[in-house]
Amino acid sequence: MLERLIFFLFALPAVVAGVAILLSTNIVRMAFWLITMLIAVAGLYFLMGAYFLGMIQILVYVGGVAVLLVFGVMLTSRQMAAKLRPGRIESLWLAGVSAVLLLGLVLSVVHAHWEQGPAVAASSPADIGHSLMGDFLGPFELASVLLLVAMLGAAYLARPKVPAQSPQGGRGTTL
Amino acid sequence: MMSVTPYLILSAILLVLGLAIVISKRNAIVMLIGVEFILNAAALNLVAFSRHGIGGLAGQTAALFVIVIAAAEAVVALAIFLNFYHRIATVDIDQGDQLKG
Repeated sequence: MLERLIFFLFALPAVVAGVAILLSTNIVRMAFWLITMLIAVAGLYFLMGAYFLGMIQILVYVGGVAVLLVFGVMLTSRQMAAKLRPGRIESLWLAGVSAVLLLGLVLSVVHAHWEQGPAVAASSPADIGHSLMGDFLGPFELASVLLLVAMLGAAYLARPKVPAQSPQGGRGTTL
Repeated sequence: MMSVTPYLILSAILLVLGLAIVISKRNAIVMLIGVEFILNAAALNLVAFSRHGIGGLAGQTAALFVIVIAAAEAVVALAIFLNFYHRIATVDIDQGDQLKG
Protein backbone atom coordinates (compact mmCIF):
# COMPACT_ATOMS: atom_id res chain seq x y z
CA MET A 1 0.00 0.00 0.00
CA LEU A 2 2.76 2.39 0.97
CA GLU A 3 4.70 1.38 -2.14
CA ARG A 4 1.69 2.22 -4.32
CA LEU A 5 1.35 5.61 -2.60
CA ILE A 6 5.02 6.44 -3.18
CA PHE A 7 4.70 5.25 -6.78
CA PHE A 8 1.91 7.74 -7.45
CA LEU A 9 3.84 10.42 -5.56
CA PHE A 10 6.60 10.09 -8.16
CA ALA A 11 4.52 9.10 -11.22
CA LEU A 12 2.22 12.12 -10.99
CA PRO A 13 4.98 14.78 -11.27
CA ALA A 14 6.51 12.94 -14.24
CA VAL A 15 3.22 12.95 -16.17
CA VAL A 16 2.35 16.52 -15.11
CA ALA A 17 5.79 17.64 -16.32
CA GLY A 18 5.18 16.15 -19.76
CA VAL A 19 1.76 17.77 -20.10
CA ALA A 20 3.14 21.10 -18.86
CA ILE A 21 5.91 21.02 -21.48
CA LEU A 22 3.32 20.28 -24.18
CA LEU A 23 1.19 23.27 -23.12
CA SER A 24 3.93 25.73 -22.22
CA THR A 25 5.52 28.27 -24.55
CA ASN A 26 8.37 29.31 -22.24
CA ILE A 27 11.55 27.34 -22.93
CA VAL A 28 13.17 27.98 -19.54
CA ARG A 29 10.05 26.64 -17.80
CA MET A 30 10.17 23.59 -20.07
CA ALA A 31 13.73 22.94 -18.90
CA PHE A 32 12.51 23.20 -15.30
CA TRP A 33 9.75 20.66 -15.99
CA LEU A 34 12.31 18.37 -17.62
CA ILE A 35 14.34 18.45 -14.38
CA THR A 36 11.14 17.65 -12.44
CA MET A 37 10.54 14.59 -14.61
CA LEU A 38 14.15 13.41 -14.29
CA ILE A 39 14.07 13.64 -10.48
CA ALA A 40 10.71 11.84 -10.39
CA VAL A 41 12.11 8.99 -12.48
CA ALA A 42 15.16 8.87 -10.19
CA GLY A 43 12.74 8.52 -7.26
CA LEU A 44 11.07 5.59 -9.02
CA TYR A 45 14.51 3.99 -9.43
CA PHE A 46 15.05 4.35 -5.68
CA LEU A 47 11.60 2.84 -5.09
CA MET A 48 12.56 -0.16 -7.23
CA GLY A 49 15.77 -0.70 -5.27
CA ALA A 50 18.09 0.51 -8.03
CA TYR A 51 19.91 2.94 -5.74
CA PHE A 52 23.06 3.23 -7.85
CA LEU A 53 21.03 3.96 -10.98
CA GLY A 54 18.99 6.60 -9.13
CA MET A 55 22.18 8.34 -8.03
CA ILE A 56 23.59 8.20 -11.57
CA GLN A 57 20.29 9.55 -12.92
CA ILE A 58 20.49 12.58 -10.63
CA LEU A 59 24.23 13.14 -11.11
CA VAL A 60 24.44 12.70 -14.89
CA TYR A 61 20.98 13.75 -16.03
CA VAL A 62 20.04 16.55 -13.64
CA GLY A 63 23.62 17.65 -13.02
CA GLY A 64 24.88 17.28 -16.57
CA VAL A 65 22.37 16.92 -19.37
CA ALA A 66 19.68 19.22 -17.94
CA VAL A 67 22.21 21.96 -17.13
CA LEU A 68 23.61 21.57 -20.66
CA LEU A 69 20.11 22.02 -22.07
CA VAL A 70 19.52 25.14 -19.98
CA PHE A 71 22.88 26.41 -21.25
CA GLY A 72 21.74 25.79 -24.82
CA VAL A 73 18.45 27.58 -24.14
CA MET A 74 20.32 30.62 -22.82
CA LEU A 75 22.73 30.68 -25.78
CA THR A 76 19.98 30.47 -28.40
CA SER A 77 17.24 32.40 -26.63
CA ARG A 78 14.95 34.13 -29.09
CA GLN A 79 11.26 34.60 -28.68
CA MET A 80 9.57 32.05 -30.88
CA ALA A 81 6.47 31.40 -28.81
CA ALA A 82 4.23 31.23 -31.85
CA LYS A 83 6.24 28.30 -33.17
CA LEU A 84 5.96 26.45 -29.85
CA ARG A 85 2.21 26.01 -30.07
CA PRO A 86 0.79 23.98 -32.96
CA GLY A 87 -2.25 25.16 -34.87
CA ARG A 88 -5.76 23.99 -34.14
CA ILE A 89 -5.90 21.26 -36.78
CA GLU A 90 -2.37 20.09 -35.95
CA SER A 91 -3.34 19.88 -32.27
CA LEU A 92 -6.35 17.74 -33.12
CA TRP A 93 -4.22 15.40 -35.21
CA LEU A 94 -1.59 15.25 -32.48
CA ALA A 95 -4.14 14.46 -29.77
CA GLY A 96 -5.79 11.79 -31.92
CA VAL A 97 -2.57 10.03 -32.89
CA SER A 98 -1.20 10.22 -29.33
CA ALA A 99 -4.43 8.84 -27.85
CA VAL A 100 -4.49 5.92 -30.29
CA LEU A 101 -0.83 5.12 -29.64
CA LEU A 102 -1.29 5.35 -25.86
CA LEU A 103 -4.41 3.19 -25.97
CA GLY A 104 -2.64 0.52 -28.00
CA LEU A 105 0.40 0.50 -25.71
CA VAL A 106 -1.65 0.36 -22.48
CA LEU A 107 -3.96 -2.35 -23.80
CA SER A 108 -1.04 -4.52 -24.89
CA VAL A 109 0.76 -3.98 -21.56
CA VAL A 110 -2.33 -4.85 -19.52
CA HIS A 111 -3.20 -7.94 -21.53
CA ALA A 112 0.32 -9.36 -21.73
CA HIS A 113 1.16 -12.06 -19.17
CA TRP A 114 4.56 -11.19 -17.79
CA GLU A 115 6.45 -14.07 -16.25
CA GLN A 116 7.15 -12.34 -12.99
CA GLY A 117 9.55 -13.93 -10.59
CA PRO A 118 9.92 -12.84 -6.99
CA ALA A 119 11.08 -9.28 -6.54
CA VAL A 120 14.84 -9.00 -6.71
CA ALA A 121 16.49 -7.56 -3.63
CA ALA A 122 18.05 -4.12 -3.89
CA SER A 123 21.26 -4.37 -5.87
CA SER A 124 24.52 -2.99 -4.59
CA PRO A 125 26.89 -0.99 -6.83
CA ALA A 126 29.28 -3.95 -6.61
CA ASP A 127 26.72 -6.18 -8.36
CA ILE A 128 26.38 -3.67 -11.20
CA GLY A 129 30.16 -3.41 -11.41
CA HIS A 130 30.47 -7.18 -11.75
CA SER A 131 27.73 -7.14 -14.40
CA LEU A 132 29.53 -4.36 -16.31
CA MET A 133 32.89 -6.10 -16.17
CA GLY A 134 31.43 -9.54 -16.88
CA ASP A 135 28.45 -9.99 -19.19
CA PHE A 136 28.53 -6.43 -20.52
CA LEU A 137 32.26 -5.95 -21.06
CA GLY A 138 31.86 -5.45 -24.82
CA PRO A 139 29.10 -2.83 -24.60
CA PHE A 140 31.03 -1.18 -21.73
CA GLU A 141 34.12 -0.70 -23.91
CA LEU A 142 31.96 0.44 -26.82
CA ALA A 143 30.30 3.01 -24.54
CA SER A 144 33.68 4.39 -23.52
CA VAL A 145 34.68 4.74 -27.20
CA LEU A 146 31.30 6.38 -27.88
CA LEU A 147 31.89 8.93 -25.12
CA LEU A 148 35.35 9.72 -26.51
CA VAL A 149 33.95 10.13 -30.04
CA ALA A 150 31.10 12.32 -28.76
CA MET A 151 33.55 14.51 -26.83
CA LEU A 152 35.86 14.95 -29.82
CA GLY A 153 32.92 15.51 -32.17
CA ALA A 154 31.33 18.14 -29.93
CA ALA A 155 34.67 19.92 -29.48
CA TYR A 156 35.21 19.90 -33.25
CA LEU A 157 31.69 21.18 -34.00
CA ALA A 158 31.86 23.95 -31.40
CA ARG A 159 35.44 25.04 -32.20
CA PRO A 160 36.12 28.72 -32.91
CA LYS A 161 36.16 29.39 -36.63
CA VAL A 162 39.45 30.50 -38.17
CA PRO A 163 39.14 34.10 -39.41
CA ALA A 164 40.00 33.16 -43.01
CA GLN A 165 36.85 31.08 -43.24
CA SER A 166 34.43 33.75 -42.02
CA PRO A 167 34.19 36.67 -44.48
CA GLN A 168 32.60 39.00 -41.89
CA GLY A 169 35.85 38.81 -39.98
CA GLY A 170 35.90 37.86 -36.34
CA ARG A 171 32.24 37.11 -35.85
CA GLY A 172 32.99 33.44 -35.44
CA THR A 173 36.11 33.94 -33.34
CA THR A 174 34.28 35.21 -30.29
CA LEU A 175 32.77 31.80 -29.49
CA MET B 1 4.72 -5.73 -3.67
CA MET B 2 3.49 -4.03 -6.83
CA SER B 3 3.32 -5.79 -10.16
CA VAL B 4 5.29 -4.61 -13.16
CA THR B 5 2.19 -3.24 -14.94
CA PRO B 6 1.93 0.25 -13.34
CA TYR B 7 5.54 0.95 -14.25
CA LEU B 8 4.92 -0.14 -17.84
CA ILE B 9 1.81 2.05 -18.10
CA LEU B 10 3.72 5.06 -16.72
CA SER B 11 6.49 4.32 -19.20
CA ALA B 12 3.98 4.21 -22.07
CA ILE B 13 2.54 7.57 -20.98
CA LEU B 14 6.02 9.13 -20.84
CA LEU B 15 6.84 7.71 -24.28
CA VAL B 16 3.70 9.17 -25.85
CA LEU B 17 4.27 12.54 -24.15
CA GLY B 18 7.85 12.64 -25.42
CA LEU B 19 6.75 11.73 -28.93
CA ALA B 20 4.07 14.45 -28.86
CA ILE B 21 6.67 17.00 -27.72
CA VAL B 22 9.08 16.01 -30.50
CA ILE B 23 6.33 16.21 -33.12
CA SER B 24 4.58 19.42 -32.04
CA LYS B 25 7.46 21.73 -31.04
CA ARG B 26 9.47 23.51 -33.72
CA ASN B 27 12.34 24.53 -31.42
CA ALA B 28 15.32 22.19 -31.72
CA ILE B 29 16.20 22.30 -28.02
CA VAL B 30 12.63 21.54 -26.97
CA MET B 31 12.71 18.56 -29.34
CA LEU B 32 15.81 17.41 -27.44
CA ILE B 33 13.75 17.58 -24.22
CA GLY B 34 11.18 15.29 -25.86
CA VAL B 35 13.92 12.83 -26.79
CA GLU B 36 15.03 12.78 -23.13
CA PHE B 37 11.43 11.83 -22.20
CA ILE B 38 11.48 8.91 -24.64
CA LEU B 39 14.86 7.65 -23.42
CA ASN B 40 13.74 7.87 -19.78
CA ALA B 41 10.59 5.90 -20.61
CA ALA B 42 12.74 3.14 -22.11
CA ALA B 43 15.11 3.09 -19.13
CA LEU B 44 12.18 2.95 -16.70
CA ASN B 45 10.88 -0.10 -18.57
CA LEU B 46 14.24 -1.85 -18.31
CA VAL B 47 14.60 -1.20 -14.58
CA ALA B 48 11.02 -2.32 -13.90
CA PHE B 49 11.66 -5.63 -15.65
CA SER B 50 14.93 -6.03 -13.78
CA ARG B 51 13.12 -5.38 -10.49
CA HIS B 52 10.53 -8.06 -11.14
CA GLY B 53 12.93 -10.87 -11.87
CA ILE B 54 12.89 -10.72 -15.66
CA GLY B 55 16.43 -10.81 -17.00
CA GLY B 56 18.21 -10.42 -13.68
CA LEU B 57 20.52 -7.43 -13.33
CA ALA B 58 20.78 -6.93 -17.11
CA GLY B 59 17.96 -4.36 -17.07
CA GLN B 60 19.77 -2.03 -14.68
CA THR B 61 23.01 -2.31 -16.64
CA ALA B 62 21.18 -1.56 -19.88
CA ALA B 63 19.54 1.46 -18.25
CA LEU B 64 23.03 2.66 -17.33
CA PHE B 65 23.98 2.46 -21.01
CA VAL B 66 20.82 4.40 -21.90
CA ILE B 67 21.98 7.23 -19.61
CA VAL B 68 25.48 7.19 -21.18
CA ILE B 69 24.08 7.32 -24.71
CA ALA B 70 21.61 10.08 -23.78
CA ALA B 71 24.48 12.19 -22.44
CA ALA B 72 26.55 11.68 -25.62
CA GLU B 73 23.51 12.45 -27.79
CA ALA B 74 22.69 15.65 -25.91
CA VAL B 75 26.27 16.93 -26.20
CA VAL B 76 26.59 16.32 -29.95
CA ALA B 77 23.07 17.58 -30.71
CA LEU B 78 23.68 20.81 -28.78
CA ALA B 79 26.96 21.39 -30.64
CA ILE B 80 25.10 20.93 -33.93
CA PHE B 81 22.30 23.28 -32.84
CA LEU B 82 24.82 25.95 -31.81
CA ASN B 83 26.38 25.76 -35.30
CA PHE B 84 22.87 25.92 -36.76
CA TYR B 85 22.16 29.00 -34.64
CA HIS B 86 25.37 30.73 -35.71
CA ARG B 87 24.53 30.12 -39.37
CA ILE B 88 20.90 31.25 -39.54
CA ALA B 89 20.40 32.97 -36.13
CA THR B 90 17.53 30.76 -34.98
CA VAL B 91 16.91 27.24 -33.70
CA ASP B 92 13.61 26.99 -35.54
CA ILE B 93 14.04 23.73 -37.43
CA ASP B 94 11.62 24.85 -40.15
CA GLN B 95 14.33 27.31 -41.27
CA GLY B 96 16.85 24.52 -41.83
CA ASP B 97 15.63 23.64 -45.31
CA GLN B 98 18.75 24.51 -47.31
CA LEU B 99 19.29 20.88 -48.26
CA LYS B 100 15.89 20.80 -49.95
CA GLY B 101 16.33 19.32 -53.43
